[in-house]
Amino acid sequence: MDGLTLRRRGTALGTNVFHSKTRVEDFEAAALPHLADLFRSASLLVQHSSEAEDLVQEVYLEAWKSFHRFELGTNCRAWLFRILFHRLHHLRRRLIKASKVEAFASLAEQDNLMAEPSVPQEIRDDDILRALENVPLEFREVVLMADVDDFSYKEIAETLKIPLGTVMSRLSRGRNLLRRELAEVAGLYGIRPGSERKREGNSA
Amino acid sequence: MKVLNFDSKQCERVRRQLDAYLSNELLVETTSEVLKHLESCEACSRELGSRQRVREALQKAATRQLPPAHLREAIHRRLRSTQPRMFSGFRATTWAVALASLALVMLAGQQWLGFERGRQLVASVLTLGVSDHLHCAIRGHNYPELANPPEQLGEKLGPQYAGLLPVVQEKLPGFQLLEAHICSVPDSPRRYVHFIARGQGTILSVILTKREGEFLPAGRLLVAGAPTGVNLYKAKLEATSVAGFETNEYFGFVVSDLGQDEMMQLAASLAPALRDALDGSAGTEKATPALLLASVSVDSNRGVE
Repeated sequence: MDGLTLRRRGTALGTNVFHSKTRVEDFEAAALPHLADLFRSASLLVQHSSEAEDLVQEVYLEAWKSFHRFELGTNCRAWLFRILFHRLHHLRRRLIKASKVEAFASLAEQDNLMAEPSVPQEIRDDDILRALENVPLEFREVVLMADVDDFSYKEIAETLKIPLGTVMSRLSRGRNLLRRELAEVAGLYGIRPGSERKREGNSA
Repeated sequence: MKVLNFDSKQCERVRRQLDAYLSNELLVETTSEVLKHLESCEACSRELGSRQRVREALQKAATRQLPPAHLREAIHRRLRSTQPRMFSGFRATTWAVALASLALVMLAGQQWLGFERGRQLVASVLTLGVSDHLHCAIRGHNYPELANPPEQLGEKLGPQYAGLLPVVQEKLPGFQLLEAHICSVPDSPRRYVHFIARGQGTILSVILTKREGEFLPAGRLLVAGAPTGVNLYKAKLEATSVAGFETNEYFGFVVSDLGQDEMMQLAASLAPALRDALDGSAGTEKATPALLLASVSVDSNRGVE
């Protein structure tokens, strides 16, 4: 028998939790290709690069310790992101009080489809990253997962443990907030908004 | 920013779908409708272009966030100095150390052989609760940030176990019950009735599972019992504490990263109440149908070992 199996009176307890020895090389081959993606998301969700490094290291250690639970052939990237966000939310719960989150939600409620921020024609990397920093984390993480990491709505819902409808509303509000922040950042640097000409309405 | 006044319901509908369109989440038919509208509506087409521009700019800027060269090497090094968990985050050696400490306190004077058998048995049983807590609550994070309403939790548990909800909530003062469901861990047919609560800055699980002929050794490795009438067993494994007890048909576990004293207090309060709710019904002819059904349900879900 590979590994150990808990036994009682000569019968397996039903929890075959001891597995055969896992090779660190196998883990690295499956998990390390996603290092850049994990670091990118982490660095855009925490304040300092050093925090992102620590966070990503913890994700890999956690994943390695639990690697026997990972089913080879399934989506390793999604699994690593689930660990990343689980740790991130754990940290965040300690830092952010619920009242602050509600304040963000209230703010977001004010964004509606009628408000369409003007966006500069040419968007500089620094401007959009600065604008992104001002988007509350609840919305920022969904925008990043959808627009940068190309996760589907369903994958985002599973990773963040939120309903599909919440993914859609957070994404919509997050994108809108990003545009609004971008318009403000661009305004600060004297960049003219894009050619948001006077709206002609529907021409159909 | 300008506020637009749509003069077309069609524009408004299409703009509501632009986010899903950008994410390629629309049905084929809806995508065709959106495209058709965009061909003829300059304003909506411009709005889409604006959103696409931001999306592409974000993608481009984000790719600048590259991991430093030393990070891969640091991970590589740390992985090689860390052993994978052989069981749900706990190394076998940790079990041995924890249980040896436990044994020294609890079983001074007992014969070594008898102690060793009891220790292994307790470890095996307590393992069940810890594995479900770590798999479902901690790693799986299978609970919402805001508590599910009691009626929803009752539906998840089914009529068999819904009646336990008020019992658990009452015996966990200072905790909010976030979630309750029936779950399992990989590679095991065993089913767990799992209550997840938040309080005192942590997540705590109350877990019940049917005994399958196993038992906890009464009189050995016992850490409490007389005041509550239910024998309690405890272990501290790395950062996780577990307190276990047994009823006529079930094992019960309270698991969290709280201190062992706090855990034992909670378990001492929960154990007799859960025992009464479970055995009091399942063991008599006049038992409530709900709890009798519970036994059947758990048995019928169990696979063959």
